[in-house]
Amino acid sequence: MMDKINWTQWIIIAVSLVAAPFIGALIAGLDRKVTARMQGRKGPPVIQPFYDIIKLFSKQPVALHKLQILYAFLHLVFMMLVVVFLAMGQDLLMILFAHAFSTICLVLGGMSVRSPYSRIGSLRKIMQMLAYEPILILIIVAIYLQTDSFLASSVMSMSKPMLCSMPLLFLAFLSAVAIKLNKSPFDVSTSHHAHQEIVKGITIEYAGPYLGIIEIAHFYETAILFFIIMMFWQTNLYIGFGLETLAFLAILILDNTFSRLTTTWMLKYMWSIPLFLSIANIIWLWSK
Amino acid sequence: MEIMSFNILLAVLIIAPVVFGVVAYLSPDKLRSMSIILCSVIVAAAGIMITIKPNNQFELPGSEMIATILEVAIVGIILYIAVTIRNWLILLMSLAQLGMIIAEIILAQTGHAVTHSYDFATDPLTKILILITSIVGPIIAVYAIGYMKSHQEHAPPTAASLGQFFFFFIAFLGFMNGLVMANNLKWFSFFWEATTLCSYMLIGQDGGESKKNAERALLINTFGGLAMVAGALWLAVENKTESFEGLLAAKAVIPMVLLCVAAFTKSALLPFQSWLLGAMIAPTPVSALLHSATMVKAGSYLVLRVTPGFHDSPKVMMVITIIGALTFAGAALLAVTQSNAKRVLAYSTISNLGLVVACAGIGTPLAYAAALAIICFHAISKGLLFLCVGRIEQKIGSRDIEDMGGILYRMPVTTSVALIGMMSMLLPPFGMLLSKWMAIEATIRSPLILVFIILGSALTVFFWSKWIGRIQTSSYHPKFNKESIDPAMGFSLITLALGVLLTGLGSMWIFNKFFAPITKQVFAGRTDISDVLWNVFNAAGDFAAVTLFVAVGIAFIAYWLLVWRRFKETDVRLPFLCGENAESTVYTTSAFHNSEGIRSYAFRSMGDKIENSWSSTTYLKNFICEKKATIWLNIIAWVIIIILLGEAHLL
Amino acid sequence: MFNAVSKSPWVVHFNCNSCNGCDIEFLACLTPHYDVERFGILHIGNPKHADVLVVTGSVNNRNARVLQNVYNQIPDPKVVVAMGVCTSSGGVFAGCYNILGNVDLVIPVDVFVPGCPPRPEAMIDGIVKAVGILERKRKGEIFPTAPKPLCKFKPSEEQSAEKTAIKEEKTV
Repeated sequence: MMDKINWTQWIIIAVSLVAAPFIGALIAGLDRKVTARMQGRKGPPVIQPFYDIIKLFSKQPVALHKLQILYAFLHLVFMMLVVVFLAMGQDLLMILFAHAFSTICLVLGGMSVRSPYSRIGSLRKIMQMLAYEPILILIIVAIYLQTDSFLASSVMSMSKPMLCSMPLLFLAFLSAVAIKLNKSPFDVSTSHHAHQEIVKGITIEYAGPYLGIIEIAHFYETAILFFIIMMFWQTNLYIGFGLETLAFLAILILDNTFSRLTTTWMLKYMWSIPLFLSIANIIWLWSK
Repeated sequence: MEIMSFNILLAVLIIAPVVFGVVAYLSPDKLRSMSIILCSVIVAAAGIMITIKPNNQFELPGSEMIATILEVAIVGIILYIAVTIRNWLILLMSLAQLGMIIAEIILAQTGHAVTHSYDFATDPLTKILILITSIVGPIIAVYAIGYMKSHQEHAPPTAASLGQFFFFFIAFLGFMNGLVMANNLKWFSFFWEATTLCSYMLIGQDGGESKKNAERALLINTFGGLAMVAGALWLAVENKTESFEGLLAAKAVIPMVLLCVAAFTKSALLPFQSWLLGAMIAPTPVSALLHSATMVKAGSYLVLRVTPGFHDSPKVMMVITIIGALTFAGAALLAVTQSNAKRVLAYSTISNLGLVVACAGIGTPLAYAAALAIICFHAISKGLLFLCVGRIEQKIGSRDIEDMGGILYRMPVTTSVALIGMMSMLLPPFGMLLSKWMAIEATIRSPLILVFIILGSALTVFFWSKWIGRIQTSSYHPKFNKESIDPAMGFSLITLALGVLLTGLGSMWIFNKFFAPITKQVFAGRTDISDVLWNVFNAAGDFAAVTLFVAVGIAFIAYWLLVWRRFKETDVRLPFLCGENAESTVYTTSAFHNSEGIRSYAFRSMGDKIENSWSSTTYLKNFICEKKATIWLNIIAWVIIIILLGEAHLL
Repeated sequence: MFNAVSKSPWVVHFNCNSCNGCDIEFLACLTPHYDVERFGILHIGNPKHADVLVVTGSVNNRNARVLQNVYNQIPDPKVVVAMGVCTSSGGVFAGCYNILGNVDLVIPVDVFVPGCPPRPEAMIDGIVKAVGILERKRKGEIFPTAPKPLCKFKPSEEQSAEKTAIKEEKTV
């Protein structure tokens, strides 16, 4: 496989690896700015996430024990691997597995320390995975049903925008994105705001540079998710960008109108409405 | 000469374990260990040699007679057991079995000609199973030497002698080897019943409560045996053949379905899962043997043996797939509700066997290769996990997952080995994940199965990561405890862990080198497999697993350079407990060591009283109740089994 | 760019023995009217992620250890801002049977913000001052001071003498 990659692909991989965290950080900055405006505040500058990251790397590397940090590294590296796989147009299921592995590393890191908040956060993170993972797999199934291939590159070969053939899956995917970005009402495992129920949840015991690593991984994840949203209108990237903006605003409005709800509610909701929508869409595609 | 040595190897693989078993039974303790180790070495060597040799066949003169006598003898023993334990259901079923065998003899006497085929043969599928049985099996046997030594000290007075235990333990390997090599259904039935008998004796090792569970195992497996003999009789009467070859050539659906039902009982698929759960009461090496090297693998082997070639009856295959997929998702769901480590492992085994059966039912090249891969990787990982749990249980005196916090410090070797085993069950780049990936890609054309498999995989990740999270929970320790392991147990743990790591590292290579050629061989000349399916199959083989290793490697190297080397004790902090930690606020060795609670967090409450709080793992108690879910799943599974029999025009 | 520490100070807020007046005023800083997030200041409830420890109220026997624990869990460089008059002298609680007194008996304080309670503007000003100190600490211009040992928490003879004196005054 490695020998089949030509130099243009190497450049694409390198560029996407460098660009993804910047895009993710900018989205996070915009997120904070727009949220502030929605609440009638001025809000921090858009490049605030960069300040945060630089600050985190200048702090003392405090930890509970060594094993915990290994998982932070694995989390980041596998998130980067997802970007590499996407840039190479690799097998979509493998991309999903790499992504799931990355999340599981975060969970295991949270569980490896003797901290109740971290442990509860980790368990909730697994519940979140349980809630959104089926929808992600079903999206891949839908892509396969249309292209007869699992390769990410096959999406570009479709003549019609994906949104036309899988509108219901797109709606379900938005819920999944809200979970992945830890937005209310799904922000059960950790959140960006000062919800102090389980303090900071899964990332509570990571400090300084180690928290920085997790934040960067989160930026990668944000970039990946928004890239996938854009892919729903893969034929015209400008419309794709518009779609992305709409999705972004929709998620922010959701975030600002809801409070944190329980994991049980989340699981019940995700395994009823979005899962039902996705399966309906799949059956429609299958019978076509 | 070539044939000669093949025959010798065959005889060694089947008879040597039985002979050494007798030696182990008769000899005193010291000699027994020696004979077990010797037997392990011989069996492992013979297993590897027979795999290297080209495929071969063997015919025993007068085998018809010998096989029938042996079969009657073993059913007789089961009859005798049924009478002594006064279980009339077992008695009735073994009587029916005996009747069918006699009917077959009478048929043969009255001149009903049955085409005779060779008795034993090796082909790639057999070879894979032989490798598993004759390498993983002996390693578990060596472990059992160390384990049973301390087990016997605490065993109840009702327990059977160690000699008897090891006789059945080792003979089991021989029977299993015979089972996978048998081509003649008479021999196959004999070995089938022999493994049933062995498992009955081993499960009931400790007497008392365990006798009851052993009885249930015997009951369910005798039911399977009945289905098996009925299938053989049908094949002999209708299709005038008694070999697997003949079965596949004649495309006889009814015997195939009957054999599959027999396989379901042995593989403990829903609704037959209860015997495997009850079998958890046996000493842990027995569980390891049943789950990884022998017993349940016999069932999945039988399904893989008989299903190719039945693509003409898609409905039957579909129903078989549904049973497998239902078991995969259902058992994973039940595993989530369990806190007993051995029950979690048992449900995980059942779940994986369900996936194997589902893959066999789908019957595409990729599905077949995935099934082979699951059997292989699962055997090694599950064997290892049982050995680890057995040792942890002996050390901490509990098999509750919640009690396993902090063992990473107390028994670092066992725990790291267990972590490797668990991660190999679900994480990339290990083989189990790759095979699950192939299974999903293989089922993509049938949405119902796919939904089951997706839900099953999600639940699998859930219960494994809960457990991994629990056993690696620990405080900071500058140095790990030194762990003293019995040499026999240590050897087995390390060997199997290395096996898991190596097969994990080379999983893609193993796939391309072994599973892909076998699959191509099995599916050669099949015209109904479309190009799309072959493309997917080839694309799976092309996957660059090396990228996963590069990623893991980069993470580890970066971690070592940036964290491990520079780690300072002054950077160690206590977990955040709102400032109310019971330990001293600044790091001192003693303060941290004393705080190594098994499952709790110590904090100061009112009046400086030190209290322990404990956060349990989720068991989805408000979603599912194990008992109710089991009843519903069993009902659904029985309905599907009846549909299966109906599809085969048996009802 | 390189004084990023001063652009994203994350605050953890610890209520020692306060009457909640300061706390309410501090939370008012987060509201749209004052909006401290425009300076990158985040209110996070977790010392592991914090740069600034905001303390309100005076120290008593029970919470001295807790305060020190929270302080220890903040990674370097860190600053402490003591809000309100109680933190500098004990305020209206000074001389109570359970009160040790000012916060800097237990942990080193960088900025005291006076007032009972201080106005939100004063609080924001205090944090901004502290951020300047934080930046100098990061550059190594100021060395971090170690927290005081816990054995000091038992009221010393001197202090108890003072207290009895106050008590006598009151009775008189």
